[in-house]
Amino acid sequence: MAATGNEKRVIVVGGGLAGLAASARLVEAGVGVDLFSVVPVKRSHSVCAQGGINACNEVARQQGYSEYEHFDETVYGGDFLADQHPVLEMANWAPRIIDVLDRMGVPFNRTSEGYRDLRLFGGSLFKRTHFSGATTGQQLIYALDEQVRRHESEGNVTKYEHWEFLWPVIESGRCVGIVARDIRTMQIRAFRADAVIMATGGCGLIFGKSTNSVMCNGAAAARCFRAGVHYANAEMIQVHPTAIPGADKLRLMSESARGEGGRVWVPALKRPDGTWGVHPRSGQDPKTIPENERYYFLEERYPAYGNIVPRDIATREIFDLCVNHGMGVGGGQQVYLDLTHKPKEYLQKKLEGILEIYEKFVGEDPYTTPMRIFPGVHYSMGGLWTSFTPGSYTPATPRTKHKSGTRAPINAEIGQGMALGEFNNAMTNVQGLYAFGEVSFAYHGANRLGANALLSCIFDGVFCGVSVANYVRSGPSSNKPTKDISQSLYDGAVAQESAKVKKLVDAVDTTGADDPATNPYIIGRELGVEMTEACTVVRTGPRLERCLSKLGELKARYSKLKLADAGGWTNQSMAYARSVGDMLILAEALALGAFRRQESRGAHYRPDFPDRNDQEFMKSTVARCSPSGEVSVEFVPIDATLIQPTARTYGKKDDKPANPAPTRPSDASGANVPTGSLAGAGV
Amino acid sequence: MSNTPVSQSSVSFLDRHHLLLRRLHSLSGIVPIGVFLIAHLVTNSSIMWGKVGLRGDGADMSLAEGGAFYFHKEVVWINNSIPHLLLIELTLWAAIAFHSVLGFVYAFSGRSNTRNYGYGANWRYTLQRISGYIGILFIFYHVATLRWGWSFLVPGGTTWSHHYAASTLALSLRGGTEITLAGVLVSAFYFVGITLLVFHFANGLWTSAITWGLTVSQRAQQQWGYACAAIGTGLMLAAWASLLGFFLLDPVQATRVEQAYYQKYGQPIPKRHHLTDQNITPLKTEPSTLGKN
Amino acid sequence: MHTPSTAKPGTRTITMKIKRCDGPGKPERWESFSLSVTTGQGMNIIAALQVIAAKPVTVEGSRTTPVVWDSGCLEEVCGACTMVVNGKVRQTCSALLDQIAPNDGDVVTLEPMSKFPVVRDLSVNRQRVFHNLKRVSAWVPIDGTYALGPGPRETPAEQEVRYTLSTCMSCGCCLEACPQFNQEPDSKNWDTAFLGAHAISQARLFNSHATGKELAPQRLDALSGPGGVGDCGNAQNCVKVCPKKIPLTESIGAMGRAVTIHAVKKLFTMK
Repeated sequence: MAATGNEKRVIVVGGGLAGLAASARLVEAGVGVDLFSVVPVKRSHSVCAQGGINACNEVARQQGYSEYEHFDETVYGGDFLADQHPVLEMANWAPRIIDVLDRMGVPFNRTSEGYRDLRLFGGSLFKRTHFSGATTGQQLIYALDEQVRRHESEGNVTKYEHWEFLWPVIESGRCVGIVARDIRTMQIRAFRADAVIMATGGCGLIFGKSTNSVMCNGAAAARCFRAGVHYANAEMIQVHPTAIPGADKLRLMSESARGEGGRVWVPALKRPDGTWGVHPRSGQDPKTIPENERYYFLEERYPAYGNIVPRDIATREIFDLCVNHGMGVGGGQQVYLDLTHKPKEYLQKKLEGILEIYEKFVGEDPYTTPMRIFPGVHYSMGGLWTSFTPGSYTPATPRTKHKSGTRAPINAEIGQGMALGEFNNAMTNVQGLYAFGEVSFAYHGANRLGANALLSCIFDGVFCGVSVANYVRSGPSSNKPTKDISQSLYDGAVAQESAKVKKLVDAVDTTGADDPATNPYIIGRELGVEMTEACTVVRTGPRLERCLSKLGELKARYSKLKLADAGGWTNQSMAYARSVGDMLILAEALALGAFRRQESRGAHYRPDFPDRNDQEFMKSTVARCSPSGEVSVEFVPIDATLIQPTARTYGKKDDKPANPAPTRPSDASGANVPTGSLAGAGV
Repeated sequence: MSNTPVSQSSVSFLDRHHLLLRRLHSLSGIVPIGVFLIAHLVTNSSIMWGKVGLRGDGADMSLAEGGAFYFHKEVVWINNSIPHLLLIELTLWAAIAFHSVLGFVYAFSGRSNTRNYGYGANWRYTLQRISGYIGILFIFYHVATLRWGWSFLVPGGTTWSHHYAASTLALSLRGGTEITLAGVLVSAFYFVGITLLVFHFANGLWTSAITWGLTVSQRAQQQWGYACAAIGTGLMLAAWASLLGFFLLDPVQATRVEQAYYQKYGQPIPKRHHLTDQNITPLKTEPSTLGKN
Repeated sequence: MHTPSTAKPGTRTITMKIKRCDGPGKPERWESFSLSVTTGQGMNIIAALQVIAAKPVTVEGSRTTPVVWDSGCLEEVCGACTMVVNGKVRQTCSALLDQIAPNDGDVVTLEPMSKFPVVRDLSVNRQRVFHNLKRVSAWVPIDGTYALGPGPRETPAEQEVRYTLSTCMSCGCCLEACPQFNQEPDSKNWDTAFLGAHAISQARLFNSHATGKELAPQRLDALSGPGGVGDCGNAQNCVKVCPKKIPLTESIGAMGRAVTIHAVKKLFTMK
């Protein structure tokens, strides 16, 4: 345990960017940290982020960019669903966060003069994305991991790696600890804490295959949800257009491949009426398909943008072609992303890193063979519902959308967006239970801009971490310290979790009958297929209804689950089986939210309701779970007091600013969108 | 937890002086052992090229006679002209003892895995340890039989003498005047021993440059590797030449050459303890054209 | 770079031969599983293990428990899924069956890493890897996460060197392949046992940062002590098996040099 004997202790669940940043901040504030993670924290999913991290910087500032513009872009990119004050504060802190990371030794790419290099990214006309090669997330988490290791060696952080969060211990609406399980020894234990921070990331595994890591199953969030924590905007799931299909997962292929001239096509035959039909030799060697039998569908449908249409459009088109028209390569769910017409030297210079990943995992040479890609579930904008205290900036009426490149209406000042240190910043509806990073629903609304994810994680840690420190020192918990709470509460929580394990162990399949209906792996697989079909790119009312009834069927089957392993030591099947139950409940919240949100907004596209409906749905979808497991959804108003909603019309001619700044890197209109602006959008 | 300082007394001598001992081990392999090895092999290989070294002086001798004559001249010079020879010798023995004892300690801490990782450098790592084990065994035999006079380990029982260095060595390697099976075995052991020791030295030279941080970049390590390979090849040729030269040397003829040497330089012929059953007369040579030695 | 697959189109049957162990101190056993693989599906070892987990029946037809293994990102950036595949250590997420078992009837052997204690089956306890990062103080000693201005400037060349070193994911491949790094079950000995290439390379990374340099004497003391850089035997397997192609042997040379200079300085300052 901690050598310094910090009187106040906070449990941080999850050791990704958000959890590690929070741990460092809390230790600096004199609070002891117990850090729980199912994997060694250095192996958290944050390592997978590629593109970079956004922040206003001096170069962009002198071209008319500002923290306010960053805020405006983020709200606009999220299709006006995010609470706006927290987004403003995040943008204000971004430059400071970059500085802190820089001081930690993150090897940010450098200009020839030795300053931090910048790249263009989706959603902005300014270079405002800091990056470290093609593995920015890996570099950031390593820097934070190192800092936390330092605190660990000084006795202020105790790591519980290979421990799984099972349940929050809640006493009269206040979180006072957790129940966790050592996934090796299977020991179940309760831990006291003055506050608990959930920093457990996303839930991509609900969709079976995604770009997420294997532990991103949303189980921890689901367990909080079941324990009474509200879950918001569950239906807002980002699907990235270009992922590499794999047998085990989908790996991201950065958009820069298309930015550098990559063309998306499928083999097809043109009918006399000009429409395209399925090619009989689709799926065979693409090099044998003649040019006139290649359907460059993005270029044909979007003559102005071609292959670099915005992310959601590309995703919808590819999905539509493969799923609705069966025209994917070989009739399957894949299209070609072709770079073979480009000289090899050029590709090696610009794209070597990502092409190497393709080579390594697909076993094909992308320099000579078109890559096979398909959209993949990438990020959850939704998450545990959190509150905040708005800062000092409160205009009488919301402003219109900021004109890119013009002077910001307000200065970047800390405290304008959120009040620093208020107890409730990033706190869920359960007192003392916080949600940081991807597991929180804050900041990104209906669609996340590339390179904002790393920022939101670290911002939560360093900004909202102060709130947690204040809460444990002088908040309601100081009246009745956690150490004075009766042990029976914790023993009861352990007993409840042990009973759940016993139920699973008792259900071990000893007959060898191997019924797929009750096999957790089969149920998990069916869940992934169903959710991918019904709840990703295109969602319709009838399909969502069917999805909800399928989820009902899976839940019924899950209740009769049979385990293949009753072992009392490092039983991964049992851990997986439990997470399937959690994924089912989160999937229900997701499908129900998607069903109830009868509009199209950001990543949520309903062909039966193709327009955005601010009147009814510019609200958070807040899901609740009753003690008996019933999921209900209601719409809760959001904080949209800073910017008025406008139509989200990226790149259309009429979106062109009236007075474009001469220093702007590129024009906003149509085909002139800079190719680099969409590059590396893997964050 | 991790930062608890370990009390000095509980730490072993090896651990307390970890770096110093490691570096002394590395250094001792080069100076004095490596330097001696070079000198030793150059001298001994003169059995093959000595006639050339004699220049005009050996014009009337055969290749073998010239080699034996030159070699003998070198041995006499070493024994008569190098000051503090015993001190040098003791230093060398101490260095070899230090290098080998520590070498054993270090080598035992590793587990060779060339079966699964058959890379060149890994084979050299393994061979470095094997060559150390066999090499020290060889050195012990070599020194015991030729220096300490443990003639019971020598086929034919010859006692080596620096007064008759070439002939007694040839007798020891051949197992007698004529080549015997035991002699072949001893020579085979010499072949293995000297080959491994030369490898050990050349490879040690390569690794020591990394250990001391003289070669850092992959390219520098590679280039120095080529240099070490060249040094090793040169020494290997010298080592094999020495062995072959003495193995093929006729001990009787060699003795005649050695006697001729003493005669030529006007020195009394030392008493002979080998080939005592034979009457050997000095080889006839022309008066020396070189300076008196 | 590119390893073309020699697998013929269609479906083939391969055997996964897996070394299993139910827990620390339990006996080891081998179990084989038959697996149907279709060429071109990108099936890797992790996907194969997932299939086996769903239906754990051996080639002999007997039912067994699902195999336990570690994995994470499946993109070769997290370092979790290190195993010994056909005798050699590597990341299993990037081990594609079309490449390593292209023919019908091919056998793929899977073993846990041998230098770390087995937890169960293919899962091992690599705590010592992270412990060794503490031994070399692998961090930049900043004043805290407060905004105190930017970090030190550096040239693109310096950044490139640090970036490459900083991609080390603590996977343990360099340690598994190292003949000098051996299993040390007793954590009391971890502070004197060989650090291994990854920690030596991390010491170099932080010594080459303007602020990180502050702790250089402390790191060099650790590298000079028992288990330090001197224990390297120059077998150079580390650099051969590193999935991130980190120039580990250069780091060893660089730290050898730094330790030499450090020792000489200490000798003269008598500190």
